[in-house]
Amino acid sequence: MGILRMGYAHVRVTDLAEAKHHYANTLGLYETHSEDGKVFFKGWDEWDHHSLVLEEGGVGVVKYGFKVEKPEDIDEIEKKGQQFGLTMERMSAGENAEVSDGIRFTTPSDHVFEVYHSQTLIGTEVGTHNPEAFPRHLVGVGVPGLDHSLILAEDVRTMENMLTEVFGFYATERVQTDLNDDDAHYIATWMTSNNQIHQIAVLEGPQSKLHHVAFKLQDWAEVGHAGDLFTMDDVPIDIGPTRHGITRGQTIYFFDPAGNRNEVFAGGYLAYPDRPTVKWTPDQIAKGIFYHAREINERFTTVST
Amino acid sequence: MPNLTIHPTGEVVYLEPGETVLGGLYKAGYAYTIGCRRGGCAICKVDVLDGEFSYDHPVADSVISEQERTDGTCLSCRAVPDSDVTIEMRDSCLRLVNPFLRQINEKARLRAEALASTTTKE
Repeated sequence: MGILRMGYAHVRVTDLAEAKHHYANTLGLYETHSEDGKVFFKGWDEWDHHSLVLEEGGVGVVKYGFKVEKPEDIDEIEKKGQQFGLTMERMSAGENAEVSDGIRFTTPSDHVFEVYHSQTLIGTEVGTHNPEAFPRHLVGVGVPGLDHSLILAEDVRTMENMLTEVFGFYATERVQTDLNDDDAHYIATWMTSNNQIHQIAVLEGPQSKLHHVAFKLQDWAEVGHAGDLFTMDDVPIDIGPTRHGITRGQTIYFFDPAGNRNEVFAGGYLAYPDRPTVKWTPDQIAKGIFYHAREINERFTTVST
Repeated sequence: MPNLTIHPTGEVVYLEPGETVLGGLYKAGYAYTIGCRRGGCAICKVDVLDGEFSYDHPVADSVISEQERTDGTCLSCRAVPDSDVTIEMRDSCLRLVNPFLRQINEKARLRAEALASTTTKE
């Protein structure tokens, strides 16, 4: 079965207390654990121990964790990674709190990816026995969980090849200089392993950088409500509420108290591996990114952490 | 309290105590290229030619290098002047986008200066 989903994002923040306030009280994530300068969070509709780790000191992303279905999947991905030319390192259970053993490697984009097969099961906040539709006392936006991340890489095509060959991902959408894949230079790619429209996206830019980490919402109404709360909490808005042409998702980009870009993301159509990849040409990229303004703001390609 | 002078135009903007360079400029009706406004993206750097400032939050080493901590580089969203300062923009151009806010700022500066001179006389 391979990769189930992006299970966690581990992000650096300059001030842990301010960051905790943002992720817990504005976004409404649940703190599940803390240890030496790190805090662990999950959303109300997530069942595993955590999906976000904050670490004090610096900005940007430390690493991502991808969850596979079975321990044997780890061996398979390790083999495919070695075939691709990656250096795969084994990690033991407990190197990440409440996370199983697995593998760790550095991507061609200089990001650290970990692959694991289990995390301590906590359960969703509504449980599995005759559950209510949502927890009654959500805080702030009350995001149900982590959705996806966009990272930057000098060579997008190599990242797409890696994610295809090693993770079994496929591209749902892509920005490319020519509609013929062989002649094209890839500017950005949106990739997944299942029906989620994207789990990870890669945009051309400086190595090892984070563009944003996104959290799920249901629909326009929830995105608008989140925007109202960002005003109340003086969260800097990058853009939105608006729609992405790419993925059709509804969105707000905003910044956490360390300057890492966050997103609330709703909608997006169901992805299937046999659905032809949607291709955007560079002259239409502005409509692809911000469907209403049809202009890329000056921050989209220049601001990252 | 601190006055911020913009080189080379010589325009002067009045900042409230504790206000950041970015916050003060925007409150006075100016705009320039800024990003996260939280010290993470490094895009709002300006140069401080004269005067002292300090950062009101920890700033990541990946944003301000060791050399930049002493060469006058100023991450404007986190920099709070400790004295009157003179700044110069880098690639980004400073634009006056709200003349009404500029007028309010000008009056606040003149009031503060009048108050300061009265206090000195006494």
